[in-house]
Amino acid sequence: MRNLGRIFIVALLLLALPAGAAFAQTSDGTVTVLHGIPGDGGFPVDIYVNGDYSAPFIPGLTFAEFAGPVTLPAADYSIEIYGAGADPASTDPALGPLVVTLPAGANATIEAHLDASGAPTASVFVNDISEIAAGNTRLTVRHTAAAPTVDVLANDGVLFSALSNPNEASGDVPAATYNAKVVPTGATDPVVFEADLALAEGTSTIVYAIGSLDGGSFTVAVQTISGLGATPAGVPTGTAGLATESFPIALALTGALALVALAGSGVALARKSSN
Amino acid sequence: MIEPGKASHRSSRVLYYLPMTLRTLTLVFAFSLIALTALTVAYLSNTEPAEVGDVASVEALLEQPEASTTSTIPSPTTDPPPPTDEDAVRPPKVSVWSGLLADTDPEQAVVPTRLTMTSIDVEAPIISTGVNTTTGQMAVPGNVTDVAWYQYGPRPGEDGSAVLAAHVDLAGQGPGVFFRLRELDPGAIVEIEFSDGSTRRFRIEARTIYDKQELPLDTIFSREGSPVLTLITCGGSFSESSRHYDSNVVVYAVPVQLPEPGPRL
Repeated sequence: MRNLGRIFIVALLLLALPAGAAFAQTSDGTVTVLHGIPGDGGFPVDIYVNGDYSAPFIPGLTFAEFAGPVTLPAADYSIEIYGAGADPASTDPALGPLVVTLPAGANATIEAHLDASGAPTASVFVNDISEIAAGNTRLTVRHTAAAPTVDVLANDGVLFSALSNPNEASGDVPAATYNAKVVPTGATDPVVFEADLALAEGTSTIVYAIGSLDGGSFTVAVQTISGLGATPAGVPTGTAGLATESFPIALALTGALALVALAGSGVALARKSSN
Repeated sequence: MIEPGKASHRSSRVLYYLPMTLRTLTLVFAFSLIALTALTVAYLSNTEPAEVGDVASVEALLEQPEASTTSTIPSPTTDPPPPTDEDAVRPPKVSVWSGLLADTDPEQAVVPTRLTMTSIDVEAPIISTGVNTTTGQMAVPGNVTDVAWYQYGPRPGEDGSAVLAAHVDLAGQGPGVFFRLRELDPGAIVEIEFSDGSTRRFRIEARTIYDKQELPLDTIFSREGSPVLTLITCGGSFSESSRHYDSNVVVYAVPVQLPEPGPRL
């Protein structure tokens, strides 16, 4: 009965799965916004979406701050960024309008940042939220700073090489704390950034290089997405066979002997008494 | 002429030659009956039932609460950002947090360090383990005295299933710390000590045995649902050729709630 019940539940899930997946993939996306443009006092900005000036979609966001995540229908969005408190009806935006596409079903980060030469721009990154093998972690590095091409070192070994603005590199590695360094590509110094990153198991850690190297505002902003970890494949906890629950052989032999004697004597008794 | 009973004539003649008296036969019959009964009783009293307590309802605690209207696929969650000073003046629908490393200090990790189960005479150190990268299985200690906590899952008492595993036995080392896990019955108390000196008590709710091929890994390693403490070891029958057991003994416990203030007597 229990197996039947399980089969029934599995069948129900199989029926429900395509419907759920289709729904998730055709309608919404998840968006996080990152402010990666340095400026005076952290350059606070108001962000307006699709020309709706009644209220900022995100008010007062400053350099290295994230906003979100919010779930939005997958579509093209027009984004305008104004200095905090500026009147969008009577002034020009500091950046934009920029049209960005939110792909269906995607987990995306929209980032306002500098290009390699220091001019403001914006990028949409789709975050990899596929399952991570048990025990592993996912590290993604996005170069969105006014800085030359770099290498990323993990524990002094090259993890990602020749990363340039506005590109990203990503990999799954065993969960641990890594010493991370950013260096000019092909070199080991000068170290333009160094930090110990505790990368949690089953979690995607996305490191954004932001700011301007020459302007002295170069730093990193970190976004994490957890809940991506797979489960271990099993629990191996015994190799001696001392706790086995199979029927002991001596007991089994005695039982069989007793059973034969019981049957034989029973039959014989029946015959005797019938005579 | 047909004589009634003639059909049995031949077998009766065979029995006639048997050197057995009616008395001997009765004695053999009685003794073998007693022996069989005794063996059955001995076997049953030696074997723990495969399942005690309400396994299904404990496992239901670990079901992932899904928003049924959107999707049946568990969706990953973006970590809740730490609160900022400006929270009060921002619209509640979009939260804002600093991405700077200096502002994202990881919390000090408190880990379980000691397990006590007086009803089966267990008091053992707990070590934090992860995954054996060769096999993809949970990493377990190389000795029979330590208990492993799966550090990538919840801590005991947190939402989801906190997994403690230990050996039932190891070749060359003998019985392990979880040798008597299969005797742990509902109602028994489990006490866990943590690295910050605190302790938490759990009460056994159910025990079962799973074929290793059918171990519900997603339930046992669930990171969502009500807090459940899951104790695992090996059991079932043992293969002399592969030197492994074919099953896992799984014991579920839930946190002991502080007693409600009772009525004054």
